Amino acid sequence: MNGQIGVYICECGPNIKDRIDIDKVIEDISSLGDVKTVKRFPLLCSNDGKKFLEEEIKKEDLSHLVVAACSPREHEKTFMDVCEQADFNPYLFQLINIREHCAWMISDKNEATAKAIKYIRAGIRRVALHRPLEKKEIESIPDVLVIGGGVSGLEASLSLAGKDRRVYLVEKTGSLGGMAKKLSQLLPNQGSNLSLIDEKVEQVHNNENILVSTSSTVGDVRGFLGNFEIVIHTDGETSGFRKAQVGAIVVATGFDVFDPEENSQYGYGIDNVFTAQEFEEQIKSGNVLLKSGKPPESVAIIHCVGRKERGYCSKVCCCYSIKFAHYLKDNLSNVNVSELYVDLCLPHKSDQEYFEEAKKKGVHFVRSEEEINVNQKGDQIEVEYHSEGKTDSIVVDMVVLAPAMIPSGDTPELAHLLNIPLDKSGFFKEIHEVLDPISTPIEGIYIAGCATGPKNIPESIVQSQAASGKILSSLIPGEKIVPEVKVSEIREEFCTGCQTCLSVCFYGAIRFDSFKGISVVNEAICRGCGSCVGSCPSGAIRSKHFTYPQLYREILEALR
Amino acid sequence: MDTEFKPNIVGFLCNWCSYAGADLAGSSKMEIEPSLSVIRVMCSSRINSNLVLSSLLWGADGVLVAGCHPGDCHYERGNYYARRRFALLKKILEVLDLEPDRLQLSWISASEGKRYSEVVNTFAEHISQAGPNSLAHNPKV
Ligand SMILES: Cc1cc2nc3c(=O)[nH]c(=O)nc-3n(C[C@H](O)[C@H](O)[C@H](O)COP(=O)(O)OP(=O)(O)OC[C@H]3O[C@@H](n4cnc5c(N)ncnc54)[C@H](O)[C@@H]3O)c2cc1C
Ligand code: SF4
Ligand code: SF4
Ligand code: FES
Repeated sequence: MNGQIGVYICECGPNIKDRIDIDKVIEDISSLGDVKTVKRFPLLCSNDGKKFLEEEIKKEDLSHLVVAACSPREHEKTFMDVCEQADFNPYLFQLINIREHCAWMISDKNEATAKAIKYIRAGIRRVALHRPLEKKEIESIPDVLVIGGGVSGLEASLSLAGKDRRVYLVEKTGSLGGMAKKLSQLLPNQGSNLSLIDEKVEQVHNNENILVSTSSTVGDVRGFLGNFEIVIHTDGETSGFRKAQVGAIVVATGFDVFDPEENSQYGYGIDNVFTAQEFEEQIKSGNVLLKSGKPPESVAIIHCVGRKERGYCSKVCCCYSIKFAHYLKDNLSNVNVSELYVDLCLPHKSDQEYFEEAKKKGVHFVRSEEEINVNQKGDQIEVEYHSEGKTDSIVVDMVVLAPAMIPSGDTPELAHLLNIPLDKSGFFKEIHEVLDPISTPIEGIYIAGCATGPKNIPESIVQSQAASGKILSSLIPGEKIVPEVKVSEIREEFCTGCQTCLSVCFYGAIRFDSFKGISVVNEAICRGCGSCVGSCPSGAIRSKHFTYPQLYREILEALR
Repeated sequence: MDTEFKPNIVGFLCNWCSYAGADLAGSSKMEIEPSLSVIRVMCSSRINSNLVLSSLLWGADGVLVAGCHPGDCHYERGNYYARRRFALLKKILEVLDLEPDRLQLSWISASEGKRYSEVVNTFAEHISQAGPNSLAHNPKV
């Protein structure tokens, strides 16, 4: 190659100057082939330094640029911007870290100098193999698809919809509101009043930027952040399908409940054994009655139904079970109420007080091991439980079961359609449960509410607001999206179609072209991690900025 | 033992954790053995047998691959792939009659400057003791 490589060494004030013999470095490097010029400068990241570099790039007509200074984690971006300013492709530049990795780590000046020379030589060899990479700008669509019309989906739709942003809200059932709409009342610390939910439903219906499709599901999704193509299927009177383009997707498909029939010990099927949802309906209708038409004189509320089977605590059941007890005590005179729990979960600040109040009203709380047996006993029901090594039982008129929250039925298919993972309980899996609980590995697809696991209404709402915040800040109407430039590409002629790469790419950036029998990287999705490059048995994948030849050059210089 | 022996060690560090850990070791002015040369890659999953074996065949006395702690990979699962390949590579090294502990895999986070210095210095010391890599032949560049 007939390179015109420019090498610029930053003194970084005293940081590099005092600890590395820069003159010696210059002397050593200057004789290398393809090196046009080697110069030192007091502070390259200063405005003077940047101006100097910009002028040098032009004046010296450089083909490639090496800067020996600090960590790329600190100033790579700074110098890449200088390159752009000088109309010089920033990927023809390499930053060599002689500050953190030489000057500051090696106290012997001769050794530090020798090391700096080694790294700079490697940089020169490497940069000679750099090819210009082009930034692409992709049009992005600000509109959003929200799947699921429970409180989570309602909140996301309301936070997102606006003058420049349409929301497609797709709800499987005939109406909006999800589980919250079926509740008899909210917990008192939540204001008890269900009109909050009704108001949200109404606001959604009245918002002209929210296109609601009920009795509908999402049939197809293709694309990537900023450019998803979706198909919405609608059943019933207005059956048909609608195609749309959106930039992001919020999955808010909520939860289902554990079916107590799965385990006969809970006695579901026996007269006067109800699930919590059935009981909510009874409260809502104002008639808590036995089959005989009489009000119950004794009620047992059984917590943790399905907890053992599912392997996790559903978090909200204890609170709403206490809500049931309060209702019974407040509305039926002389009713005897027992709550049987495995562990009491009272995580919110007002829960403890609510629980103490229930005890004051005479509700019995009984800790029981998980082997609860519900059996018919004449007209009544016997609940057998185990406590402190003993078996005991109570006989009641009515039993209410508080079943575990489980992933909503369509979760596996939807996960497959969207190419996002599930956790071991079958809910959608967060990128990180603690640090990034609403993101998925697919950029532009977010998860909120009970779709990721049991939550109460406020927690669900917070997640939807967070997901909306992410979308509002990344999909700005009129702004284009710039995907990662240092991506990977598959060279057709070497690919054997083994599809190993498909299985290692976490982002689903690779698809198999069955007609050609090869795999193809979608550069708009690829993040450039290099997993596929490392795994391809045919060496068919090229990581555009970390190619084998580039890394081999670095290895050879390291071993010199 | 030849006390003059100065090993050449190649250290592949992932950009997000281990390279940042190395930066921190530097900015904390920790003394690091200069025999290790750092090569930055985006993720430990980029490293495979081609790169490790080339290093050893070309004369590296030791190879360090360092990435984020399990569960912390910037690309979610990359370090798990690195770990699996590493297990396989150890077997290959045995077949090549090279001491498998010339290859080391370590997890070093961005906040573990001290750990970086310990890992590198201990590994360098170990390789110094082990002596030169017998497979080495250094092709002309
Ligand atoms: C008995 C009971 C009582 C409760 N009481 C309280 C309480 O007092 N206070 C409180 O804070 N929380 C309470 N909760 C919890 C509360 O119900 C949830 O926190 C809340 O409903 C979560 O809202 P969501 O939108 O995430 O899920 P959901 O309410 O489950 O809504 C999900 C929506 O998505 C739809 N959907 C599912 N799959 C698809 C698909 N493939 N395509 C399109 N749409 C789909 C569903 O039809 C549903 O409308 C209670 C829960 C139960 C079971
Ligand atoms: S791993 Fe390599 S050979 Fe196999 S399909 Fe992917 S690119 Fe082709
Ligand atoms: S470099 Fe990473 S993100 Fe890109 S295609 Fe390969 S495995 Fe997927
Ligand atoms: S980014 Fe550090 S190991 Fe993957």
